[in-house]
Amino acid sequence: MLWIKNVTVIDPGQGVSGVNDVLVQKDKIVEVGPSFKAKEVLVKLGVTDINEVNQIDGDGKYLFPGLIDVHVHLREPGQEDKEDIASGSRAAIRGGFTSIMAMANTFPIVDQRAVVEFIKLQARRAGMARVYPISAVTKGFKGQELVEMMDIKDGGAVGFSDDGKGIQNAEIMRLALEYVKLTGCPIISHCEDEALASKGVMRRGRTSARLGLPGIPASSESVMVARDILLAAETGGKLHIAHVSTKESVEMIRWAKGKGIDLSAEVNPHHLIFTDEDITLTDTSYKVNPPLPSREDQEALLEGIIDGTIDMLATDHAPHTWEEKARPFQEAPFGINGLETSLAAVWQKLVQSGKLTPEKLVECWSLNPAQRFGIEGGTLKPGSLADMVLFDPLYKEEISTEAMESKSGNTPFLKKELQGFPVITWVEGRMLMKNRKII
Amino acid sequence: MEGTPKNKIMDKDGIRRAVSRISHEIVEKNKGTKDLILIGIRTRGVPLAERIREKILEIEDINLPLGLLDITLYRDDLSTIGVQPVVHETKVPFSIEGKTVILIDDVLFTGRTVRAALDALIDLGRPQKIQLAVLVDRGHRELPIRADYVGKNVPTSSKEIISVCLEEIDNNEEVILLEKSKENNSI
Amino acid sequence: MKWKPKDLLDLDNLTTEEIEHILQTAKPMREILSRPIKKLPTLRGKSVVLLFYESSTRTRTSFESAAKILGADTTNFTVAQSSITKGESLLDTAKTIQAMNVDLVVVRHSSSGAADFLADTLKASVINGGDGQHAHPTQALLDLFTIQERIGDIKGKKVVIVGDIIHSRVARSNAIGLQKMGADVTLVGPPTLLPTEMSYLGIKLSHDLDKELPGADVVMALRLQLERQQSGLFPSIREYSKLYGLSVDRIKKTGKQTIVMHPGPMNRGVEIASDLADSVQSVIEKQVTNGVAIRMALIYLLIGGGTGNVVD
Repeated sequence: MLWIKNVTVIDPGQGVSGVNDVLVQKDKIVEVGPSFKAKEVLVKLGVTDINEVNQIDGDGKYLFPGLIDVHVHLREPGQEDKEDIASGSRAAIRGGFTSIMAMANTFPIVDQRAVVEFIKLQARRAGMARVYPISAVTKGFKGQELVEMMDIKDGGAVGFSDDGKGIQNAEIMRLALEYVKLTGCPIISHCEDEALASKGVMRRGRTSARLGLPGIPASSESVMVARDILLAAETGGKLHIAHVSTKESVEMIRWAKGKGIDLSAEVNPHHLIFTDEDITLTDTSYKVNPPLPSREDQEALLEGIIDGTIDMLATDHAPHTWEEKARPFQEAPFGINGLETSLAAVWQKLVQSGKLTPEKLVECWSLNPAQRFGIEGGTLKPGSLADMVLFDPLYKEEISTEAMESKSGNTPFLKKELQGFPVITWVEGRMLMKNRKII
Repeated sequence: MEGTPKNKIMDKDGIRRAVSRISHEIVEKNKGTKDLILIGIRTRGVPLAERIREKILEIEDINLPLGLLDITLYRDDLSTIGVQPVVHETKVPFSIEGKTVILIDDVLFTGRTVRAALDALIDLGRPQKIQLAVLVDRGHRELPIRADYVGKNVPTSSKEIISVCLEEIDNNEEVILLEKSKENNSI
Repeated sequence: MKWKPKDLLDLDNLTTEEIEHILQTAKPMREILSRPIKKLPTLRGKSVVLLFYESSTRTRTSFESAAKILGADTTNFTVAQSSITKGESLLDTAKTIQAMNVDLVVVRHSSSGAADFLADTLKASVINGGDGQHAHPTQALLDLFTIQERIGDIKGKKVVIVGDIIHSRVARSNAIGLQKMGADVTLVGPPTLLPTEMSYLGIKLSHDLDKELPGADVVMALRLQLERQQSGLFPSIREYSKLYGLSVDRIKKTGKQTIVMHPGPMNRGVEIASDLADSVQSVIEKQVTNGVAIRMALIYLLIGGGTGNVVD
């Protein structure tokens, strides 16, 4: 039994945006409405003693439906030194995410029902954020044979992706988009032409030329976005474009949506916050794939979010050990650790500066992901699961590996202070994080 | 070299006379100018060497070969000093093999500069003899080195500094004794 | 002035004054190279590690000679002889070197940023002996020294650098150094090897060598990695040579007694014709000698004295 008072509820799912009280009974939302009286609360919750109700003062804070991250790498099975399902789902809770979608590039790769079920089991054991497995599209990420999509879907996968690697063969991609219709799930496309990307380690441009680092041209992503859009149009398969990072991609997605093609797209916070110009030779935490965009691209990405071309924010949480990142820039692996810093970073850099409204943030990070992938959450409508985040816009924290739940610390925010953090996270009515600590 | 002036040791004429006397002594001691080579130690040994060459030209009508030696790379205190000494070129465009080298410097103090200069010279070849000429010998030797020709012996305390100014470098011509005001790192 | 640098990673973080000081210090070093006995006691007891992840006999030998002439001890860590091939990370190799209390590490590595990485990790001084496509500062300094030696003040001189610019650390460091010294630099190469992003340097880019030659005081050819032809970066050696190869005839177009440079090793008949490489206009051998002098100067400046005031 929970009564959150005077909290600014942001829930685009039911068009609520303002100071309200929220009532929760067991794992469900009971009601969201303007300042209830104690008597009303007793009636609504069906209890006789107000002491049975946990009352929380939400004054000055926001309440969001639990954030949903459609793109995380939990590294289990196989690379538990970087992260595992328990640590990753704890990190999610600490970062305000109540549901996360785990990518398939583990060892072994998630290309069979057994691995999907293993992930679900491990997530249940951890008892933190809900974890939805994403299956590979092709066996072993080889880009040749499709996985048993129906069996895997029945095992619990909510989407298919060879993320980490683009599907180079257009015919295989076309077949995947055809066959996936059986499942009703989307194909999540990691758009990268390997020949164009070649040995590149950052976006090709003036900065890569200056640093003497091999560049990845923007076209490496954009040509594949164009290809996949045309294939989705032709097949009618459901398509989701992962980590969009170029202005050309945004323009093509806008065009495709205008044509009524069934596609959605996500952007990573780091692509909205950093550009290629931030890269230095000695800080490998900026090394990420797709690479940090140009300033022009970054503007187009934000514009895409604002006008609805881009549907979602997603962290692409990619933990790597300190040893792996403590290498020369060219040799370090790609990836930024995002679950515990992304909400604060987006809040501080984009919401506080007025570029993004809190409503848009919740729409992109909770409502749209739930709807697109057909998973629970995304709203605080009465009867919904009580996945909620109490967010304090004034809370300041210096990012440190000691405080982080993730096993890895590969974030450019390390030792920097951010402002605006979740202070309580509930999953299905259970309080799992309070005052920045997992309970 | 910072310090408070105490008294003048030599003036322009004094320096001129000292150089003149050293030049005569060099010729006399070596019984002429055969196989003689003059080498000035940078910085103030160089103009002194030039003056000695002129004087010898005047008295013997012989223009002796003149070289300049930079001893920076031979210093024994490079790893302990906090400063970065500038390295200059050594110019000895002739062979010193079997010659009598007159090494010329302004002040003889601890002997370390001369030690470095001897090492530097020997790296250039094997002279028959090396002799040392200095304008001022102020004592306080830390190495077994003595000068063959001395302009003036000046007893000093370790708190004092000898400052030699020469027209060619300092636009001034004098030797003065200063009271040391802070540590200095030159040898 | 003060001498502050602990490391030499590239020329972009050196002031013009510091570059001039290096070039100035190389002059007495050059004199030492012409002596019959090339050995100084200056750095006696100092140790220099040559950490070479790319085989480069000429650069390694040049550094090794420089260090030895100054009296330092040198230790080679090269690919074939150490744990580098056993997959030890650069970090662990660095820590091993640290534990040996060395004074200076010269590193050559195929990854851009490897020298910066080491400098960040080590207490010892680091000289970048070439990292990936990023920088080759000692080559650029020896080129500046050679130009100065041959034609005097670099300021206002027209320098044309021709070849595979995008992949060349030599071109990058030279462009930066020459600009700092006031030269008028033009980069020339085919669009595949001189893409538009090289405009970051803020200097003239051109695809037409013959148009850029008139008035050039210095023309520098870069080594062409012949395997780049297989990656499609240029159609054939024949065509490359026709468009961008230097020869005695072509160099006449400068209308001057232009000097011709090449960082070596040369592909004779590709980027430079033998007649030109062996002509009086060529300073290629001088570059090699001056390379030792410049490296002596750098080693002296980095580990020879303190990092305080420069005193005369």
